[in-house]
Amino acid sequence: MTQSRREFLRTSSWAGLGLLAAGCAPKVSDFAQKSGRRVVVIGGGWGGTSAAKYVRLADPSIEVILLEPNKEFVSCPFSNLVLSGVRTIESLTFNYDRLRAHGVKVLHETATMIEPDARRVRVGGDALAYDRLIVSPGVEFQWDQVDGLAAAQDRVLHAWKAGPQTVELARQLQAMPDGGVFVLTIPPAAYRCPPGPYERICQVAWYLKGNKPKSKLVVLDANPNVVSKAALFRAAWQNYPNIEYRGSNKVVKVDPGVREVTTELGDKVKYDVLNLIPPQRAGTIAVTADLVGADKRWCEVDHQTYESVKHKNIHVIGDSTIGLPVPKSGNIANAMGKICAVAVTSLLNGKPVPTMAPGNTCYSWVSDKEAIAVVNSYKIEGGKVVQIEQKLTPGQSEAWAQNAIGWANSIWADMLG
Amino acid sequence: MRVVTSLLLLVALAVAVPALAGPLDTQGAAQALVCSACHGFAGQSRSNTMPILAGIAPWYFKKAISDYAAGKRPSPEMEPYAKQVLQSGVDDVAAYFAAQARTPSPVVLDAAAVARGRAASGPCTTCHGVSGKGDPSKGVPDLTGQPPGYLRNQMLLFKSDRRSPGDDQLKAIKTLMRTIPDEQLSDLAAYWSSVR
Repeated sequence: MTQSRREFLRTSSWAGLGLLAAGCAPKVSDFAQKSGRRVVVIGGGWGGTSAAKYVRLADPSIEVILLEPNKEFVSCPFSNLVLSGVRTIESLTFNYDRLRAHGVKVLHETATMIEPDARRVRVGGDALAYDRLIVSPGVEFQWDQVDGLAAAQDRVLHAWKAGPQTVELARQLQAMPDGGVFVLTIPPAAYRCPPGPYERICQVAWYLKGNKPKSKLVVLDANPNVVSKAALFRAAWQNYPNIEYRGSNKVVKVDPGVREVTTELGDKVKYDVLNLIPPQRAGTIAVTADLVGADKRWCEVDHQTYESVKHKNIHVIGDSTIGLPVPKSGNIANAMGKICAVAVTSLLNGKPVPTMAPGNTCYSWVSDKEAIAVVNSYKIEGGKVVQIEQKLTPGQSEAWAQNAIGWANSIWADMLG
Repeated sequence: MRVVTSLLLLVALAVAVPALAGPLDTQGAAQALVCSACHGFAGQSRSNTMPILAGIAPWYFKKAISDYAAGKRPSPEMEPYAKQVLQSGVDDVAAYFAAQARTPSPVVLDAAAVARGRAASGPCTTCHGVSGKGDPSKGVPDLTGQPPGYLRNQMLLFKSDRRSPGDDQLKAIKTLMRTIPDEQLSDLAAYWSSVR
């Protein structure tokens, strides 16, 4: 499985340049003065990396600064395979060197405040002026929505942002005694990656079936039914009698002391290993910068430029957005990043913005070898994104799993290569 | 004085006039952005499964899009996207990809498989030519430099009649594919991927 990552790295012609660039370690204060036109991008995930790279591709005369606290990018898609031991976290981890080779100035810092009127981003005591700002902060968890969760953040794992928590949850799963109960809880929609929890069910159940045959997986889903690819997942679960799925079972309380969660209905469920995926909202900077709507959760944007409906010259992309008929997926964030990059470049150059619609390809692994998929295509109608078609694979197969690997290698390169 | 004024005017104009056309400024480039997630920037796929679209002949690109959209070439992935491309302007997108220089697939090939594939490639050349570049007048596409995984998948789809079932133009290749053992398909794929 690591071969595809090696293949991805081998195809790099800029790795050397990137290493050189990384050695410079620029600071925010190096960019206090803005000489030409500048785009600042907040967030180096699926949307932000795509936006930063494609602004540089569209017009290399525009300076692009990307603010991302993490030194490495870890892919959420495919990270459920780390839980089952089918892939390693290293095979999903990439650095930002080749983005630097495109001329993107990557600063491993956190944006602390946005000043829309002054067109400035605050980074601690420093500030970065911008002509256009692209905000791609992903999701933040609503810890306060589950009683007892805020105080137990370090012990109750979400593993919903791929990284150390993914590795720790895999370790806990492996260490669980045979006969133990793994509880997975799913928040109410909307949340990041609609099919993600159901793919995770497949991976955990597949692992337990082969390694801990007396164990079971209890799923407490706040939603009445499987949110995405329902028939395909239900068919896949026929192979896993160790799954106990309970719809309309919203978890409202967790007590790690007695290893127990409580549902809205008052049912108490004991666990040996818990994976609690909390309810979500837009990333914190979107909330503090007043980019979220009346729901205080998500950001409304123009469907063609992704400019915020609340603040001019600020664009929001990825999981933080709402109002488009698209899922909160990495593929959509990548598409929004590219479209937004071309829109921003056109606006800065005084040109009309081309009409561009996103697309979504979404694979889910239902075992160690087989995958299913859903694909959505879109058009722009009356200034709004409208779905043309949604198509599902007719079943699960190894061929779609191979396509999934091809998709992953391609889109990682589209963002970071 | 007049010269100075004119010069100043020129400078002012140079500043005000937008930059020259960038690489993504054409209608086709903008509409092809959605393709790059799988097919790579400018259609330069780096993966083993997704075909390279850079340098693809417009007639072949348009036939593929039309067949996918109509469900004649079944693909749950490509059918929705093909419909999107038909709506956003298939001629523009075809022209964009055709204008991109093709770099052969970076997927590393097994030299022994390439050699075996070369030795077995005779039947392919009847239609695709010794060069493998195909023949537009007969509707035969270019095989060279494509990822081996993609080429092998297509041969398997021909063999099992899952690519464009009922297409009379493809009867000959499907008959041929049924005579070739699966192991040899990998060799043929490696060989045609290696041809420049």
